[in-house]
Amino acid sequence: MLPAVLAGTGCVASRQEPGQATAAVADALAQAGSAGETSRITVGLLDEGKITGPVADTALLDQLRVLDDAESALTTLVPPDAASATRRTTGLEAVGEVSDAVVAARAWAAARSGGDLAGADGVPATTDDLLADLASATDATDAALAEAGGP
Amino acid sequence: MKKLLGVALGVLTAIGGFVDIGDLVTNAVVGSRFGMSLAWVVVLGVVGIVLFASMAGRVAAVSGRATFEIIRERLGPRAAGANLLASFAINLLTLTAEVGGIALALHLASSVEPRLWIPVAALAVWLVLWRVKFQIMENVAGLMGLLLVGFAVALFQLGPDWGELLRQAVPPSPPGTEHPASYWYYAVALFGAAMTPYEVFFFSSGAVEERWTRKDLGTNRLNVLLGFPLGGMLSLSIAACAAVVLLPAGVEVSSLSQIVLPVAQAGGVLLLALVILGIVAATFGAALETALSSGYTLAQYLGWSWGKFRRPARAARFHLTMIVALLLAIGILMTSVDPVAVTEMSVVFSAVALPLTYVPILVVANDPEYMGEHVNGRVVNALGTVYLVIVVVAAVAAIPLMIATGAGS
Amino acid sequence: MTGTGGEVRLVDARLHLLSRQVLDVDGEPVRTVDDLELAGPDGGEVTAGQEVHVSAILVGPVLATRLFGGRVPDGRLPRIAWDDVGHVGTAIELTVPSDRLDADWVEGWVRDRLIARVPGGRHDPEAGG
Repeated sequence: MLPAVLAGTGCVASRQEPGQATAAVADALAQAGSAGETSRITVGLLDEGKITGPVADTALLDQLRVLDDAESALTTLVPPDAASATRRTTGLEAVGEVSDAVVAARAWAAARSGGDLAGADGVPATTDDLLADLASATDATDAALAEAGGP
Repeated sequence: MKKLLGVALGVLTAIGGFVDIGDLVTNAVVGSRFGMSLAWVVVLGVVGIVLFASMAGRVAAVSGRATFEIIRERLGPRAAGANLLASFAINLLTLTAEVGGIALALHLASSVEPRLWIPVAALAVWLVLWRVKFQIMENVAGLMGLLLVGFAVALFQLGPDWGELLRQAVPPSPPGTEHPASYWYYAVALFGAAMTPYEVFFFSSGAVEERWTRKDLGTNRLNVLLGFPLGGMLSLSIAACAAVVLLPAGVEVSSLSQIVLPVAQAGGVLLLALVILGIVAATFGAALETALSSGYTLAQYLGWSWGKFRRPARAARFHLTMIVALLLAIGILMTSVDPVAVTEMSVVFSAVALPLTYVPILVVANDPEYMGEHVNGRVVNALGTVYLVIVVVAAVAAIPLMIATGAGS
Repeated sequence: MTGTGGEVRLVDARLHLLSRQVLDVDGEPVRTVDDLELAGPDGGEVTAGQEVHVSAILVGPVLATRLFGGRVPDGRLPRIAWDDVGHVGTAIELTVPSDRLDADWVEGWVRDRLIARVPGGRHDPEAGG
């Protein structure tokens, strides 16, 4: 009873049972997927001129925090068996991919609002490239999530 | 004509003042995860707040005594003292959430870090409490809060499948992807957000501030009966915007910046700017009301002189209480706690505290010594009793649900 | 107890006096009735079986003893003499202004040392501006 309650209260806690470890991976991937989608919507809106620079920047920054939480949930997890270890590795890769894409999105947004970042590393050449990156990163989390038995 | 204008102003203020950071965050989170399947809770909460706010207003207008004076008078110093402790703590949590909400909204408007906005926001709240006339404060915050109508405008511009939204709402059932415990946890949170106890402290003390008498009973009833349900419509449109744009994309709302994305998508920069201004006004208005409520509850329990209509020096301890409450709120926020997380906590604990406020009001509204001929009618009492049961069930269920679901995650 | 108009009205001390709001002659809140001081018929000690009357309203530290038990030393209790009470309704109305009562020195201290010293502390919010 007690371990169940403890596991229930901590979203980010390391989980020992195989089922719980899988659930933790699924939670983290769902958060990462949500962050990727939010960033994609934000970039799309900024490209259409429907959102102000400060709101877009704040939205992307908030998503980086979510991704940070998801990543630390995965890194602190102690996998109880080989299967969960694989799922965690796949999950970490997927979360990392989303993080890279969101970081690129912030650089792109900064460049767009007048920063002199043309040609700098990590700034996507076009909006379409960026949107494609975000979409493929989000797809990766969805695939990993399906593997971890998430919704 | 002037009277009609006054009534219209009262109703508009009630609409604009209905939504606070708790309603904003909870409705958006619920919309993004459960669609409209929890819309019934908003309706239930609005009927409840209409019932009890009009009762508290009537008690204050007829007897001239505000809620917490009566709570102490009826429960005695010991039980009322325990009630005060709980109510004050939860009100402080709500105040913290509102001040944090102002800072988050200003962050959206400016890109300047919320941590820098927190002291500025609290100072502005204090200055208004210190200087501005009660009615001007109420009307300006309420009218600017009306800008949140932007969420309803956005919903129409999004052109959603109304049939689908209705199917999610009636008959209500949790989506297959979510655990039933999470569904009920958010039902309790949404109920707590709609019926936040500070609204009753504020409403009854505000009636004393504005020197309501029996003659104002009609206005009271109209403000509440029209204003709160229309305010509830704003809550529902916030949830619907999230349900239309964020739910299909698999976005789980965890920040204020996500809540305004549907508005930007529908109405572009102009509508977005208006809604952000509305959020600043709504959270600012609620911060004023919760700060006042902290002073009201303590001063009324101990019988101190209170009220914004007095010079600060004529209600010294009342003003000191509000200053201390604001300083505590700044202190809590400066620990870098996420204001959205504070908000989610505050609405759940509000649900826990509901019976503490609502039971004594129902008792006093039936006391002929205070109310004379204006005691509750049969229908109101029947409804009040039904709500008492609901409120107690929600209060008892809140903490176990929070533990079982890991605060809804 | 005699009420207004000379007719006799029964007042239950626990129900109608304790924890009621005390207002001064101008309707300003003073304190809540935290306890009552009782005296014997000749104003002396209360003895069991004898008639007693309320001699004063007690406020302040006496509340702590009602909540947690114990006793406050007699001479220290801030009191409002019952002779100053004019009317007992849903609030207890006094016939004197609150400034004349020394029962509530804390309010005066907070006012004079803190609130009144902040700019605008004596500003009347109803006067506009």
